[in-house]
Amino acid sequence: MRGTTGLPSTGPAGARMWGMTSDATAPTADGTRDPFAPLDVSWTPVSTRLARARLTVLALWFGPLVVAGAVVAVATGEAWVWVWPAVTAALAAWQSWLIPRQVRAMAYAERADDLLIRRGILFRSLVVVPYGRMQYVDVTAGPLARRFRIASVQLHTASPGTGASIEGLPPQEAARLRDRLASRGESRLAGL
Amino acid sequence: MSRSTPQGEQDVVDESVPPGAWRRMHPVTPALRGWKIFVGVLLVAGYQLMDNLQQASSLLQGKGWLIAVGVLAVVAVVGFGYSAVAWRMTRFAVTDDAVHLQTGILFRQQRQARLDRLQAVDVVQPLLARLVGLSELKLEVAGGSGSAVSLAFLREAEADVLRAELLALAAGLRRPAAAPAAVPTPGVDAAAEPTAPGTGPAPAVAAPPVVFAAAPEHQVYEVPMPRLVLSTIQSSATVGFVIAVGAAVVTAVLSREVGAAFFVVPMIFGIGGFLWSRINQGASFRAATSPDGIRLRHGFTEARAQTVPPGRVQAIRISQGLWWRWSGWWRIEINVAGYAIGKEQQQDTVLHPVATQDEVMTAVWLVLPDLGVADVRPVYDAALRGTGDDGGFTPAPRSARWVDPIGWRRHGVLVTQRALITRSGRLRRQVDIVPHERTQSLGLEQGPLQRRLGLASFVVHSTPGPVQPSVAHLAAPVAAALLDEQAERARTARAGDRSEQWMRQHVDVVAPTPAPTDAASPRTMHSPPDPVA
Repeated sequence: MRGTTGLPSTGPAGARMWGMTSDATAPTADGTRDPFAPLDVSWTPVSTRLARARLTVLALWFGPLVVAGAVVAVATGEAWVWVWPAVTAALAAWQSWLIPRQVRAMAYAERADDLLIRRGILFRSLVVVPYGRMQYVDVTAGPLARRFRIASVQLHTASPGTGASIEGLPPQEAARLRDRLASRGESRLAGL
Repeated sequence: MSRSTPQGEQDVVDESVPPGAWRRMHPVTPALRGWKIFVGVLLVAGYQLMDNLQQASSLLQGKGWLIAVGVLAVVAVVGFGYSAVAWRMTRFAVTDDAVHLQTGILFRQQRQARLDRLQAVDVVQPLLARLVGLSELKLEVAGGSGSAVSLAFLREAEADVLRAELLALAAGLRRPAAAPAAVPTPGVDAAAEPTAPGTGPAPAVAAPPVVFAAAPEHQVYEVPMPRLVLSTIQSSATVGFVIAVGAAVVTAVLSREVGAAFFVVPMIFGIGGFLWSRINQGASFRAATSPDGIRLRHGFTEARAQTVPPGRVQAIRISQGLWWRWSGWWRIEINVAGYAIGKEQQQDTVLHPVATQDEVMTAVWLVLPDLGVADVRPVYDAALRGTGDDGGFTPAPRSARWVDPIGWRRHGVLVTQRALITRSGRLRRQVDIVPHERTQSLGLEQGPLQRRLGLASFVVHSTPGPVQPSVAHLAAPVAAALLDEQAERARTARAGDRSEQWMRQHVDVVAPTPAPTDAASPRTMHSPPDPVA
């Protein structure tokens, strides 16, 4: 098989810590390095204010539901009616446990030629977007996000599958990232 | 300019186009367009009346006939009138850098498609247009939904000349330096005034002067009709068709009533329509090479001639359904930016409707001349039919059998110097090829089960289309290494990619100055441009 490049069967067993330490980035137990933590990459975590913003949304949705359920249960006086507020409260509790962890798992890294975006705890994903492939960059912030002083940056390549967005950036950081990505995209402009 | 904008309103004036360069579509266009509107209205009316046949027949008694005919006449007049006005308001121009198109009656639209972003040029001939010798020229520029520029309808010869011109300009050739004074653009609009100095008013009926000769073609393969029909019949759709008809017959016999079988009629129509469209679109499929790129011609009722310039194919998929295994046939589809959007996706993205393995190799060679390996055949053998580490493929580890018990041996990836080849599917075999320089972005995914088994899936993001390359369930370290290496390889390949203006590289070799003269035009190597006098 001349002319083909072989793949290394295992990566170097590097047990380094990168930027932030959480269970999502720790090296796996068997000593091989975690595929979601490439070497020589310093990850920047997103703002924890994103967790607060998401928890607020959660409270706005689930609060009235739980209260309404509880009111109905008290009014009817039947024991089984309490199932409804109990289930919604349990869901809300699970979500409020999950959201901060999810937000902590979200991070991005700028390398010389590409941007890395990582997310997820149970279902993890890592996207590598070359600057030269960037078609345009969106910065958006809704009313709630503005209140919490966060914005999201979305990168668009010619592929819809890229789906690379970074949520929960401080506005200055979002602006800086946008300008930086835009300038890098131009300097490395290539056709499709 | 006053006659070019018929209503004399404040139209946004496109300064980059010389006034004499604007051209119109063929005058028969409104008839073809209006006919479509007329038929559409008839169909809707027909459906409505079908629902209530009795009412319809009572309508047609006595003087009802006259009213019906009158309504039809009004519909026809409105339809054709609208099309005529729309035709009057539509004009286009070709400059050195872009194609300009102005359309719209109330809402005026100006579209400018940059030629250096050209992805494909199609000449489409619907049945009716073919009968009168007209064709539609479609330009794909990768701009998302509805970004195609459609020039409908032009005379066949005019469309061919325009296609050659567009491809030559997109390739980085320039109009001969001496020519513009005598011939600003091929084909001068009959309605436009000769305002440009030295522009002789050319009669509209005269053949447009040829500045760029069409690049010569060399046919590479042709799909025999019997094989196309046989392969279409030999598919899951036919099995579904047979089951549907069988179910209809059984129901009719059991219930002793023919009407009971009607529930399968829509299904039969649906599957029959699918089979017919497959045959119709793939009929007389021919592929050719030319310096302008590959040229695909196909279609029975609607003839299409697609031209995809070099380096515009983003990814290739070779697939084989279960029913084709014994015949050894493969279907090849491609991703071309701009093709994927809209209803015509199915007919535009086929590179070969039914190929033998030798033809697979030829067809892939057509769009990717260098696969980056010394000996191609063993690679194809391993990719198309192999399992495990045949042919140098990196397979999924044994632990993958817990997440994909049937197909785990087929999951594999091979990296060559030019492309990434992925392999998957045991029942429905599938091979995807992505040239390194066409990689958009890369991804790595891992679910909880995969994490426990030490697996990860590797995804390559390509432009929208039928090909979505990925390798599932690789060993996690392998997938991570692949991600790193592939990002690097894509970057290196992109830096060396020169397909943007694919003729420019020749020009630069001949004359280092960016403005080539007509003498240095590499187009002379295929066929000399016609003398312009």
